[in-house]
Amino acid sequence: MTRSFWLFVGPFFLGLLVFVYVPIGWSVLLSFFDARNTVTPTTFVGFDNYADMLTDGPFLQSLGTFSLFALFVVPLTFVLALALALLVNGIQFMQTFFRSVFFLPFACSYVVASLVWKLSIFNGVRFGLANTLLGWFGEEPIPWTVTPPWYWLVLVTLRLWLQLGFYMILFIAGLQRIPQHLYEAAWIDGASRGWQTLRYITMPQLRTTSVAVLLLLLVAAYQAFDEFYNVLGTDRGYPPFARPPLIYLYYTALGSGGQDFGHGSAGAVILTLLIAGVTLLQGKVITR
Amino acid sequence: MISRRRLLTAAGATALLTACGSNTGRGGDGQALRQWYHAYGEPGVQQAVERYAKSYGKVPVDVQWNPGDYDSKLATSLLSGSGPDVFESTTQVSAVRAGQMVPLDDVIASAKDDFTASILAGHTVDGQIYGIPQAVDMQMLFYRKSMFASAGVTPPSTVDELVSAARRLTTGGVKGLFAGNDGGVAVLGGPALWSAGLDYVTPQHQVGFDDPLAAQAIGKLRELNTSGALLLGAVKDWAEPDAFTQGLVAMQWTGLWTVPAVQKALGDDFGVLPWPRLNDSGRPSVPVGAFGAMVNAKSAKVAEAKEFVRWLWVERTDYQADFNQSYGFHIPPRQSLAASAEKLKTGAAADAVKFVRDNAKASNPPDWTSAMRTAFGDAVSQVVRDGADASTELRGAVAKVRDELKRLYG
Amino acid sequence: MKVVRYLALSVAAVLFLIPFYLVLRNGLASEQEITSPNWTFWPSEIRWENFAELFANPAVPLVRSLINSVLVAVLQTAGQLLLCGLAGYGLARIPYRYANVVLYLVIATLMIPAAVTFVPTFVVVSTLGWISDLRGLVIPGLFSGFTTFLFRQYFLNFPREIEEAARMDGLGHWGTYWRVVVPNSKGFFAALGVIAFVTSWNQFLWPLVIAQDQDSWTVQVALSTFLTAQSIEVEQLFLAAAVSITPLVIVFVALQRFLVRGVTETGIKG
Repeated sequence: MTRSFWLFVGPFFLGLLVFVYVPIGWSVLLSFFDARNTVTPTTFVGFDNYADMLTDGPFLQSLGTFSLFALFVVPLTFVLALALALLVNGIQFMQTFFRSVFFLPFACSYVVASLVWKLSIFNGVRFGLANTLLGWFGEEPIPWTVTPPWYWLVLVTLRLWLQLGFYMILFIAGLQRIPQHLYEAAWIDGASRGWQTLRYITMPQLRTTSVAVLLLLLVAAYQAFDEFYNVLGTDRGYPPFARPPLIYLYYTALGSGGQDFGHGSAGAVILTLLIAGVTLLQGKVITR
Repeated sequence: MISRRRLLTAAGATALLTACGSNTGRGGDGQALRQWYHAYGEPGVQQAVERYAKSYGKVPVDVQWNPGDYDSKLATSLLSGSGPDVFESTTQVSAVRAGQMVPLDDVIASAKDDFTASILAGHTVDGQIYGIPQAVDMQMLFYRKSMFASAGVTPPSTVDELVSAARRLTTGGVKGLFAGNDGGVAVLGGPALWSAGLDYVTPQHQVGFDDPLAAQAIGKLRELNTSGALLLGAVKDWAEPDAFTQGLVAMQWTGLWTVPAVQKALGDDFGVLPWPRLNDSGRPSVPVGAFGAMVNAKSAKVAEAKEFVRWLWVERTDYQADFNQSYGFHIPPRQSLAASAEKLKTGAAADAVKFVRDNAKASNPPDWTSAMRTAFGDAVSQVVRDGADASTELRGAVAKVRDELKRLYG
Repeated sequence: MKVVRYLALSVAAVLFLIPFYLVLRNGLASEQEITSPNWTFWPSEIRWENFAELFANPAVPLVRSLINSVLVAVLQTAGQLLLCGLAGYGLARIPYRYANVVLYLVIATLMIPAAVTFVPTFVVVSTLGWISDLRGLVIPGLFSGFTTFLFRQYFLNFPREIEEAARMDGLGHWGTYWRVVVPNSKGFFAALGVIAFVTSWNQFLWPLVIAQDQDSWTVQVALSTFLTAQSIEVEQLFLAAAVSITPLVIVFVALQRFLVRGVTETGIKG
């Protein structure tokens, strides 16, 4: 039995140790050293890196950035994805067509979406789509990607476009698991077809899906990197505004921020603990 | 049956691993030297450097062209030991202290006196030379003479004049100034300090902008950004002349290298200026720097790499002249070549040479490391783009730069 | 009421399709037309020669990066299904004294998103000398605790009667898995496989970190480089984007059923 177990699980488990557990261990180790321009440091600095990260402006600011971003993107995606799911689920004619259209952006990478958003829709000069529309109303062009608060509009709409389809599918799956007889019973009791059934039947029945969606959205927002890097970054680095935690860590450890693996690792550990905390909290909510 | 299945699986797994193991073709035969360049914007440079490398007889040289964030990429690959043998970069004391490149004093020896001293100083740390200057680059302010004339504006000699000129030149579809899509954060931070008589770092390796004037100087960049006279979000960034040549702006901050393209598009209808002074304590300035050819200390072929660098950047003066003059305009770092460079003797290029002589400021001094640059750039950006308080932001940057200098110089 | 519903859906559908339209419009126009201040809805003259120019442009290693992306996506999908499928089955079905310990170690990794550990993983991979190497691009992404966990949950609910019939015929765990369990789980494998493929094709941060060398770029890294460096013509950039999404649009149209199932599986269990 032992042999067959390891025959099945062994190759995967070995890889898991080498490519997940060893890096985590190494990272924790690096976070206690002065590891500038090296990954085999010799100067032990205790909790200094952690203290720097937690008192120093940029990393805390980037966590603030995440919170702000999450504050916009999580509720918006949740509500809009649910709305799309209800709309699509409630029709017969052309249901597959609409579902496919909303799901299609999932085929695109954040890089492609960034390209379209940065160079075509929200280009700062006159020929961008958004500025063309403004021009029709006689407004001056806006340099969207460098002006607060407009860059948030760019980043949030981009993420909505890419993600809505995915979460819509989740909600549709959830909706289709709700037994039809619950609705029939409610109608007999005189509930109206719109708001009341949504409030008293659909939402409670979608509880598991909703919690899962919220968690996924939150963790995804924590990990935001691709569209920020591609929309706001240039070949000379990244501006200090709208800088999510992963972008900050990327530039600290690997980028022009100075090859600082000690601080980079400390930041990664802090971020990991935060996400693990959220996940555990979530587990508690689900199992209760 | 079962064993056949097992065999097939094993074969599949082996195929997978073999496929994974196939090298992605980066000249892993161990023979060729690997040389890296960042991506120059001017057409023809890539073909030129490949031609130079090909004509080197002693060992084959693979040239790699690197578009994108070159600094990050280079730093990462130097760290991992998978990096190039020869590369171009600026010399930073942090990289020298980490032992990432080898000293090249013996390589340059025969020609050391021919190199412009101030340029060589930019590649010298603790008395040793780490990069052989390839081409001197400088940035300056380009302006359209015809637009100035029709608006009745004269070339500005102070920052305040520049701001008001930019305002007056903004009409209809034309903006006064373009200094990058970030509003000049990346390129005007240094000129702003110099305009007030300050600097990044003092010759004694102390913070050079711990002064109330710094806030005032950076504040002027904020003023430009809120004036509505600045072009933002153009298709090509400041290093390309497109916004200027397409007539979108009356002034653009860009580099000497664009002069051929600007001449082709606008003929004589343009002039060049240094960044003006802020007040009487400051002076006009142009940022000047030179990428140097360097040898990776982790290379397995240090001796061969040094010999190649000596051949290309010390011996082959014909290639150096070609590299500096045939594509974009650069000033040859060797005085003998600069003196004979015909293209630098007339027009805007001649003015640029004069600015370099009179107003040069080092754009990348060795003791101004990327960590410091990031701290300073972040502060400037917060002020210029988000309207944060200049004194507060700069105080934060001063503290960080001071820590970093202390770490490097004790 | 129905009319309002369809109206809302149609408006949303148009909004969702605009970016696709822009990619095509800009990819087939000339640069002058894209950057013209007068908006045109469709290129006045469709420039098919943009394709030839794009593929002939020596500065854009598009073919090479497409090949790399295909290799990475195919190998990662196949490898994940193989390794995680086996591990999931072992954890679900083979009794072993320390199976629970192993399971906890797998579940613990679910709380640590791969994106956060890119710095230390980079350190390990660079120590192995896998920078700018297909091994570095593919192998670290094979060991997904999440996929293994999904497989385990699935195999826990796999009907035992079918397996027992196979055991009666004298098959061991290995034979049962390959001859009975896998053939009866094709739909589940397809669902997770399609999701793995899409995720792998679109991943960006890891290839960006690991593919230093132009020859090892995936198509996402190539696009991003030219987007942030702005060093090629706009119409070529958009055309390259169009080329990069084509394989996935094909996957979408052909395998929509599995894709939807895959999303449902991977999403809800998360």
